[in-house]
Amino acid sequence: MAAAAEAVSAATQAVAPAAAGTTTDAVTAASQVAHTGLALAFDKLEYSVMVPLVYLSLAFLLVALVVRIVKILNSPPPPYQLALYPARKRPWMAALGESLGMPQILKRSPALWVALLVFHLGFLLLILGHLDILGSINLVPPASRDMLGAGGVGLMVTLSAFYFMGRRFKGSYRQISIPSDYLLLLLLLFTFLLGDLISWGNSWTASGFVMTKQDFAKYFDGLAAFTFADPRAILHGSHYHMVVLHVVLAELIFLVLPFSKIMHAFLALPINAVRRRVWTHS
Amino acid sequence: MAEYTTLKTLDYKGLKCPMPIVKISQELPKIAVGEVVEVLTTDPGSLSDFPAWAKTTGNAILETKQESGLIKIYVKRQK
Amino acid sequence: MDTQLSRDLKRLFETRLNSAMKMYLETCTRCGNCLDSCHVGASIPEIKYTAVGRAEVIRKVFRRYFKMQGSFAPWLGEVLEFDDGTLERIYEAAYSCTGCRRCMVHCPFGIDTQQLMSIAKALLIGADKEPKLLSMLSDMSIAKGEGIEETKASYAEAITNLEADVLALWPTAAEAEGAFSRPMPLEAKGADLLYVGLAGAHSIVPAAAIMNAAKERWSLSFFEAVNFGAFVGDSRKMKAIAQRIIDEAIGLGVKEVAIVECGTAFRVMRHFMGKQPFKVIAFVELIDRYLSQGRITLDKSKITEKVTYHDPCQIARNGGVIEEPRRVLRALTEYFVELRPTKEENWCCGGGGGLVAMGEMEFRMKSSKVKAEQMRASKAAIITTACENCHSQLSDLNEHYALGMKVEFLSHLVAKALVRPGQSYRL
Ligand code: HEM
Ligand code: SF4
Ligand code: SF4
Repeated sequence: MAAAAEAVSAATQAVAPAAAGTTTDAVTAASQVAHTGLALAFDKLEYSVMVPLVYLSLAFLLVALVVRIVKILNSPPPPYQLALYPARKRPWMAALGESLGMPQILKRSPALWVALLVFHLGFLLLILGHLDILGSINLVPPASRDMLGAGGVGLMVTLSAFYFMGRRFKGSYRQISIPSDYLLLLLLLFTFLLGDLISWGNSWTASGFVMTKQDFAKYFDGLAAFTFADPRAILHGSHYHMVVLHVVLAELIFLVLPFSKIMHAFLALPINAVRRRVWTHS
Repeated sequence: MAEYTTLKTLDYKGLKCPMPIVKISQELPKIAVGEVVEVLTTDPGSLSDFPAWAKTTGNAILETKQESGLIKIYVKRQK
Repeated sequence: MDTQLSRDLKRLFETRLNSAMKMYLETCTRCGNCLDSCHVGASIPEIKYTAVGRAEVIRKVFRRYFKMQGSFAPWLGEVLEFDDGTLERIYEAAYSCTGCRRCMVHCPFGIDTQQLMSIAKALLIGADKEPKLLSMLSDMSIAKGEGIEETKASYAEAITNLEADVLALWPTAAEAEGAFSRPMPLEAKGADLLYVGLAGAHSIVPAAAIMNAAKERWSLSFFEAVNFGAFVGDSRKMKAIAQRIIDEAIGLGVKEVAIVECGTAFRVMRHFMGKQPFKVIAFVELIDRYLSQGRITLDKSKITEKVTYHDPCQIARNGGVIEEPRRVLRALTEYFVELRPTKEENWCCGGGGGLVAMGEMEFRMKSSKVKAEQMRASKAAIITTACENCHSQLSDLNEHYALGMKVEFLSHLVAKALVRPGQSYRL
């Protein structure tokens, strides 16, 4: 047991992988045998997921988001005022406050509000945490093995997503939910759980996971520099396939996001402004 | 004005908006084409509402009579 | 269903897709915060009677015809095609919604279910399945505008016949001589204000007495304020009906148009018709102004029982007139109590959206159980309101649920409490 752990950690720390045959580490050895046939095809598939598809899905996300938001906001304005009263003194500030604080939910279902806060805050931290992996951004010390929050951020989004999912199976909530509601949550949950596995493995066990934040930093920096290098050279071990799966799911999220109800994130402010903006004479 | 006999009298006095017109719309199909009903109302607006309604629905207002506090409208079913 | 019809309906749907509407269609997270906002759903616990339940009917059609998933994965959003069953669901959604927008108060995004139901109503018109009574009433209002010259004389005669009733409430006209020396001036050139009433003397006589007491230079409109075009969701007819009054007001050159106690008429005129060369006010705002300017005083000894106030949705949360009626009530009585919940959270009476005109007695009574309970819980003897439609519905509720209350128009109580010249104001 202890020997195996040592072997894995030796492999992670190996800067220049030893030539095949001189190491006893089966994991590393396996990744360096030249693949043929199905295994080669699988390698290529994994490479596509880890490099070109990351660019493509992110580019798609950005373009689709901008196009959709511009199209919606550039549609003809409503022919008449749709404000609710009593009117607020500063309508845009009110709309911003409502978009960030959701006072309506706090008032009517405080438990949901807490879960929403945890989830949305967690989601923002998650984005930051991923950016932080880049060598050029250092929210946590670059020497740290752990991602931002050391697994805590993952816990925030995972638990709250489970709560959202559980809620949707109860009574009226079940009746107002549609299949895409469940599928979106399921997609998020799987992505989160895989992410958790990666980061908790890193943070909470002595050497349960073979890749650290530094390894991912190399991968991310490679992406940022458009080197098109195969991350397999940096991210050793069979856990690699979990990373690939995590990335596939994330790419799926990028692809569906602009067409899903997550659009509420971007429309929350303008839609709340419709409720608050008074433009007929009073 | 041609002679006519009224089939019945409908009392719409003191009704609120838009009940006089709603009621006549519901009552008229119950009588035969060509028959006439007398409507009693206190609504001054009915003096323009009933003719407008008759024009819209293809019926006819034969006559309106006014006394202090009471308006009588004679409606003929034409369609 | 006939594909030509479904193509036509799709096109009709498309015409309603302004930026707000697109956001209302795209944004809902189905969080359920509006699940008990609707008086219908709160009274009859069925999902189709909740705000999100109704809105989803329209979203399901939207996903089918305007989203990619509607073609390749229709099951994702449980889409609905235009067919008889769907049109029935659309009808049920639209004509069980009073358009009160209470749900919009509770939605974290402010999704406007009334607007989404206006798509439903437009589709029903396109499919020739709208309530024919409402269309007929709209057409009648428009025809009245076209034929008004022919009936002006007999209307004037009827108004003259009502003068004694006005003078019984207030002994003089606004001025001793000239255009404003009649208790109810018609086509009075130089008027500052045009008053638009409804069908029925009760909507004109007490208001006339109040304006005369305040020495207002006013003129009575030939038209009724109510707008059935708005109820049936036909924006072309809605505009044509309102335009009759706009033309009249511009012809007279008035500075203000005061709308009788009618919520829909007020909201359409004030918020839906764009900029006009006159101001639009609700009659209760006018009363509040007279009181604050000292142009009328009220005898507080008239009412010695608990009085409460029902906020008409289209006047209060949708129209912006919330504090004025409360100031009027405090000038009228020491016994004013609020309903709970109140103001922008007040329950809808359950009669809006054309339901009162359409009859629908059984549904109106069932769907407004929460309103009746709220009225009973107030322990008030009198419930006042500032909307004809609400007044009718509250009266029906009062009877149906044996609440034993009196239902009153605010303006009627004010007219009856006017302190006359020479009469001292007893505190
Ligand atoms: C960082 C941007 C945002 C992202 C990525 C995001 C994403 C999500 C996701 C994935 C859900 C779970 C949906 C579900 O339960 O099925 C959710 C729920 C929700 N979000 Fe957001 N959101 C964002 C911003 C906002 C904003 C600005 C608001 C402001 C009003 C908001 C309000 C809500 C509400 C009310 C729910 C409730 C969903 C439920 O009960 O299931 N979100 N959000
Ligand atoms: S607008 Fe009023 S009646 Fe319609 S769904 Fe919302 S709460 Fe119910
Ligand atoms: S409160 Fe708003 S977002 Fe939530 S389910 Fe209702 S309409 Fe949708």
